[in-house]
Amino acid sequence: MNTAVIDVSKLPAAVEDHTSPIWWGNLFMLFIETTMFALLVGTYFYLRMNFTNWPPVRSDVALYRTDPDLGFATANLLVLIASCVPMFIVDRACLRMDLRTVRLGMTAMVLIGLGTIALRFFEFSGLKFRWDDNAYSAVIWTVLGMHLLHLITGTAENLLMTLWVWLKGLDIRHARDVRVGAAYWYWIAGVWIPLYAIVYFGPRWL
Amino acid sequence: MNVSHAPVSSLSAPNEQAERALSALWTRPPGLIGWLCSTNHKDIGRRYIVTAFIFFGLAGLLAAAMRIQLAFPENHFLGPDLYNQFFTVHGTTMMFLFAVPIMEGLGLYFVPLMVGTRNAAFPRLNAFGYYAFLAGGLLLWGGLLVNAGADAGWFAYTPLSGPDYSPGHRVDIWADMITLTEISALAGAVVTLTTVFKQRAPGMSLNRIPLFVWAQVVTSFMIIFAMPAVMLVSGYLAMDRLAHVNTHFFNAAEGGDSLLYQHLFWFFGHPEVYIIFIPATGMVSMIVETFSGRRVFGYPVMVLSLIATAFIGFGLWVHHMFATPIPLLGRSFFSAASMMIAIPSGIQIFCWIITLWTGRPRLRVPLLFVCGFILLFVLGGLTGVMLASVPLDLQMHDTYFVVAHFHYVLIGGAVFPLFGALYYWFPKWTGRMLNESLGKWNFWTLFAGFNLTFFPMHILGLHGMTRRIYTYVAETGWGNLNLLATIGAGIIGVSVLLFVINVAIALGRSAFTDANPWLAPSLEWATGSPPPAYNFYNLPSVSDAEPLWHSPEEKPVVVGLSTEKREVLNTTVIDAVPEHRYELATDSIWPLALAIVVGLTMTFVIFTPWAIPAGMFFSLIVLYAWFWRGNEPKFIVEAAKPKPQISAAQTSLAAQA
Ligand code: HEM
Ligand SMILES: [Cu+2]
Repeated sequence: MNTAVIDVSKLPAAVEDHTSPIWWGNLFMLFIETTMFALLVGTYFYLRMNFTNWPPVRSDVALYRTDPDLGFATANLLVLIASCVPMFIVDRACLRMDLRTVRLGMTAMVLIGLGTIALRFFEFSGLKFRWDDNAYSAVIWTVLGMHLLHLITGTAENLLMTLWVWLKGLDIRHARDVRVGAAYWYWIAGVWIPLYAIVYFGPRWL
Repeated sequence: MNVSHAPVSSLSAPNEQAERALSALWTRPPGLIGWLCSTNHKDIGRRYIVTAFIFFGLAGLLAAAMRIQLAFPENHFLGPDLYNQFFTVHGTTMMFLFAVPIMEGLGLYFVPLMVGTRNAAFPRLNAFGYYAFLAGGLLLWGGLLVNAGADAGWFAYTPLSGPDYSPGHRVDIWADMITLTEISALAGAVVTLTTVFKQRAPGMSLNRIPLFVWAQVVTSFMIIFAMPAVMLVSGYLAMDRLAHVNTHFFNAAEGGDSLLYQHLFWFFGHPEVYIIFIPATGMVSMIVETFSGRRVFGYPVMVLSLIATAFIGFGLWVHHMFATPIPLLGRSFFSAASMMIAIPSGIQIFCWIITLWTGRPRLRVPLLFVCGFILLFVLGGLTGVMLASVPLDLQMHDTYFVVAHFHYVLIGGAVFPLFGALYYWFPKWTGRMLNESLGKWNFWTLFAGFNLTFFPMHILGLHGMTRRIYTYVAETGWGNLNLLATIGAGIIGVSVLLFVINVAIALGRSAFTDANPWLAPSLEWATGSPPPAYNFYNLPSVSDAEPLWHSPEEKPVVVGLSTEKREVLNTTVIDAVPEHRYELATDSIWPLALAIVVGLTMTFVIFTPWAIPAGMFFSLIVLYAWFWRGNEPKFIVEAAKPKPQISAAQTSLAAQA
């Protein structure tokens, strides 16, 4: 056989950056999730057209402002945005294969994740409507609920990687997985900014 | 041209020992357990195709029953309730369990071969996708068997499908089946896209990707942007219906809106048609190219047409809602867009005709089906353009004219190319050819039966016969045309039977050895038929768009991938320059386990919302096991071990060799 060959044995056996297939797979998944939230926002504005008062007035309590409470919600938003800092530190530490920082940072991320999940449950009680009151409450509960699902999966993913780095240390593949998880987390935090604005300021400004 | 019938030898193993070693690395474990654990794209693709074809047969039986019912006025074969279930399950099955999965299955089988890699990206996700699809199919058909067949039409419009007008669990089954099948479609799309973006053979730059692969890429993007809409809307519907949840998305009394349902459904539903049709155009391009013996005319134009179709395809959904109170300007816009989509499709048809015209066409069975496709699709497209006009649509809406139209596009536009593709690739899957003259009978009976069934429906529609009615009175004068349609459906049945017989006969024969019986240009034919578990011993490289037509033996091959781990080569997205290696996951039982958990969750959520947190909990446990490296349960590993006697026999054979 006299065919020329392309020898790939010297190429790296794994990479940590955006040329990795898993990074692309994650990107495509985020397209799906973003589409889902965009359609949810579409639903919100579509249903808005059916109401004269948004949020609708409660028949049981006249003259009672039914805008959703800002307290826990805003706190949670700030926690989420701030959580990108430790996530980013872990992200960078993966590039240096700095095991200590990754271990501590990931542990912190799991705790922060649990904190945002807990705060989210307080947010629900500040909505002032049950999910089954009307179409307005259906859509805002769904926005919060869907995002909660992402908080749970994101935190679960971080917990898995935390267990791995504490028990097995860090190799290049798992460093890559942590970094992909970080990209997912940035998205979870980022997508909440417009969603927060819509759920909490839509009623005030629309 | 320098084409051979044998596999390209520079891509095959140098000796038997090397072959056996790589084969052992990539072959799934033996036995049933090994079968269930397989993550090989060829196993998965084949399963999709076979399963979807079975669903095609089942939905065809329902169609036959409906046609028998409609053959005579005031017939008593099916009552109204059964008829409702039958047309709903027929339409739902054909769309979600046949057309989309079979197109995706063909892609999952051929995309990795055509781009020259050893397995699809994310093998476990791929396996999970198949099982989720199967779970969705079992849910829908299990429902039908216990008299809980979905019965609100394949698009389940509210308020009919809402809690007030559809008590019971029929619609819940429909909504949850949607979730399962769309998870599957999305998984397949992510796998396909990543495979094409990152695993192409060195040198396969964007302008050298086979058109079938382009079609799968465009389709996968459409899936990614369209399927979330139907998951969301079926989720809203399920929440509105579920006891103790009872949201009001579609309840007008509480500010909900049925038109919202229609918008979201058709935002998915119209692209869905192209998700079915675009892969079919990919098949047509491959068949036309091979059988005319020349490069497809206007390759860049073809690719741009595909992309244009996808973009315009997202701007048409409102044409399904012309009969609802939407603003006039909206109607005009969507009417114009709907007519505009004929342009890229028309361009593609011209390119195929020019290719055939200027080539040396060989009229074998696959090409015959393609010719049938061109004819029927033009007809279906014409009635489509007619329906895009608002005043006409208002007349035809919900009549048999529409039923005729969409069967022309779906059967003419997708099922004909599909049969062509099955004939074309059958030797690749099995190493055997399908019988040519039986194939011609198959084609002509399908063509005749199809037109006999569906052409009269145009006229019936114009005469005012509405769709989804279980019977009609004799005075309408619709009897004769309906009888004709029923006879035609019988002929279609015979035709599909001929195909099944053809397959059975071929499988009964011993395999032939030609790797490239049609003298095709693309890489899937460079390896054995059927392909070995690892696809290519040495990965190919590519320097043109028809690699097997231009001295394939002289092209450099890729060496140096691991022989101990399942490694593939990753190349750059645009130019396919080798970049790094990547280890794929091994065979595993966890994808099946996850599909079982998700399937049970979607079944129990029919009855209680608590199924969701429970399902999440168990899913996370399974996912932890899935991602924790080297973590197959012991009993699975034991069960999947090769039996010692066999391996002893193999070693003695190896010693002889
Ligand atoms: C094989 C031959 C086929 C026959 C004889 C057939 C026949 C029928 C009949 C009788 C109906 C019901 C019409 C009504 O009462 O309104 C129907 C509906 C439908 N068919 Fe087919 N069909 C066939 C194949 C297909 C295929 C291949 C597809 C899609 C890929 C398909 C998709 C549909 C859809 C979406 C509906 C509408 C269901 C609904 O109204 O909800 N059919 N078909
Ligand atoms: Cu449409």
